[in-house]
Amino acid sequence: MLSVKGLRAKVGEKEILKGLDLEVGRGEVHAIMGPNGSGKSTLAHVLAGREDYRVTAGTVTFEGRDLLALTPEERAHLGLFLAFQYPVELPGVNNTYFLKAALNAIRSARGQPELDAVAFLRLMRERLKVLYLDDSLLKRPVNFGFSGGEKKRNEIFQMALLEPKLAILDETDSGLDIDVLRIVADGVNALRGLERSVILVTHYQRLLDYIEPDFVHVLAHGRIIRSGGKELALELEEKGYGWLGAEEAA
Amino acid sequence: MSAALDKGLVRWLAAAPCADAVAADWLEAQRAQARARVVDQGIPDSKAENWRYTSLTRLLAQGFVHVAEALTAVQRDDLEDLLIPGLESYRVLMVNGRFMPGLSDLHDLPDGVRIAGLAAVLKSDPDALRERLNGSVGDEQPLFAALNTAGLDDGLVILLERGARLERPIELIHLSVGMDEPRVAQPRHIIALGDCAQANLIERYLSLGDSLYCTNAVVEITLGRDAVFTHQRIQSESARAFHLSGLYLSLGAASRYQGTNVGLGASWARTDLYVRFKGEHAECDLQGLYLAGDGQLMDFHLDVDHQLPQCTSRENFSGILYGKGRAVFDGLVRVARDAQQTDAAMTNRNLLLCEGAEVDTKPQLQIHADDVKCSHGTTVGQIDPEQLFYLRSRGISAARARRLLCLGFAGEILDTLVPEALREQVAEQVGRRLEQAPLD
Repeated sequence: MLSVKGLRAKVGEKEILKGLDLEVGRGEVHAIMGPNGSGKSTLAHVLAGREDYRVTAGTVTFEGRDLLALTPEERAHLGLFLAFQYPVELPGVNNTYFLKAALNAIRSARGQPELDAVAFLRLMRERLKVLYLDDSLLKRPVNFGFSGGEKKRNEIFQMALLEPKLAILDETDSGLDIDVLRIVADGVNALRGLERSVILVTHYQRLLDYIEPDFVHVLAHGRIIRSGGKELALELEEKGYGWLGAEEAA
Repeated sequence: MSAALDKGLVRWLAAAPCADAVAADWLEAQRAQARARVVDQGIPDSKAENWRYTSLTRLLAQGFVHVAEALTAVQRDDLEDLLIPGLESYRVLMVNGRFMPGLSDLHDLPDGVRIAGLAAVLKSDPDALRERLNGSVGDEQPLFAALNTAGLDDGLVILLERGARLERPIELIHLSVGMDEPRVAQPRHIIALGDCAQANLIERYLSLGDSLYCTNAVVEITLGRDAVFTHQRIQSESARAFHLSGLYLSLGAASRYQGTNVGLGASWARTDLYVRFKGEHAECDLQGLYLAGDGQLMDFHLDVDHQLPQCTSRENFSGILYGKGRAVFDGLVRVARDAQQTDAAMTNRNLLLCEGAEVDTKPQLQIHADDVKCSHGTTVGQIDPEQLFYLRSRGISAARARRLLCLGFAGEILDTLVPEALREQVAEQVGRRLEQAPLD
């Protein structure tokens, strides 16, 4: 469903991704791990379509379409979702209004009828329960004044509502306590049950205690230098990233 | 003073107001004094501090004339579309500056509340207004207040006795209908709340059709001790209109004024807010929102004078500018030497959506006391690309996302509007305006 080949991208004048390859199939969960500055977040944002990240080479195909030719909203319509590492605060934009606008934009792009207020509310309540999210968050402006944990849960809530075909979680686990981590894991595992695909971008192995990945990739210096099963994550936990750098150099 | 400008002013002054009635001597004297003041002052040029950023050339070139006769063609049916669904109010209708009792609904006013047309009161009971007319404006009348006095013939009088309360808001609709000749309406509203009285006034400036006219309104408000007044002004004049309004507030001890000014319409709009504290512990909260698109000017001037100790004022104005829209925010807060423990905070935030849009913002604090809490801040910015990307990544189109962010930006001010029915209607108007804005 997602095929990345030889992807190179620059942020400003600096090349961050230097020929990255990645294949993600339907229903698969891929963990991308790597040290800080290796390009993990850049990859997530390039896939979601951030305009200030410039792709200089390579191809990305998603659901048979040239992903790089699409606007961020078109990518969302196709079923791509990015859970932000730092969810953006939108003062004055009501969370419920925002969620409804997003869901209906995606539905109408797919030729489905828009949900009316009642149907939307019903769906929202149903998804809320799964995440133990406080109703009051829905009445507040999007992410505005939310705690770190609330912001992350709000991301997962959006994911649960929009049911993407491919969800990219950009360090969603960083800075979370165990309870929130479980909620994030529940959200991802629910998607997995629907045969949806997930890319988990993470620095730590901890999240993988709750979500068992099908594949683990190590990203360093803008390229995937090693791929394997879930046991690779354990190895990384034990040895750190240092040995990989040495291996790559060798 | 150029000859062309002079001509416009002469025309403006020429028509005799209230031709059908013999005015009280004191009123004639006030009018004569005001005319003299207009002639003395002449046209302020760009060197005048108050008119540094806004030229009067376009306004005066229209050759507006005063129209004395009332327009009776407007019927109740014409008003249906203008009403706000769900808004229960005491409704007052003014057409081209004239109070229309037949189109107003003022039934069941509680005891201690008097709402009447200014012309009627001047005719039947002129002495009731003798001290009040220009009581808040004072003798040093700015040009357009003096023009209003000179041409004054109608308006609304709202008097609340001590302790009187209105449960429903008063809704004052200024409806303008274009005439063959460009004309100016100059309503004067006199509002006085006795001690502990409470009221909510909603002023709406509307038009039938896309016509050219000028409104030059003056509103005088006096609040007694512990009085509470909520005042919401929604300016949605026609796209060709010129709008001037001057608000003159006198706040008694421990009184509270909560005002929201929304500027959406008119081709050229200028609002002056003068705040004077007459007793300690009074609070004045001024909120404002303006939108200016192609060919529009929105100009707000604030003059808040803290002469007495322990009063509080808030000035919080936000603007959205697009196309070749222009705005001016000139806010002055003065704190006199004796006005210790003044608490004043002024902010002006602007969102510029297009390169051609422009704002001149000048918030000023002049502080002569040493034990005060005062601040001011101003921002001029664009839509945050991070916020835009966040919304787009959720499937929301770029144009829709920009509108959502603009509405969010306006939300802080819109949220001050009460009741809900008014807030919704104004938010919808703002939304509609943004729909037409070239945001892509």
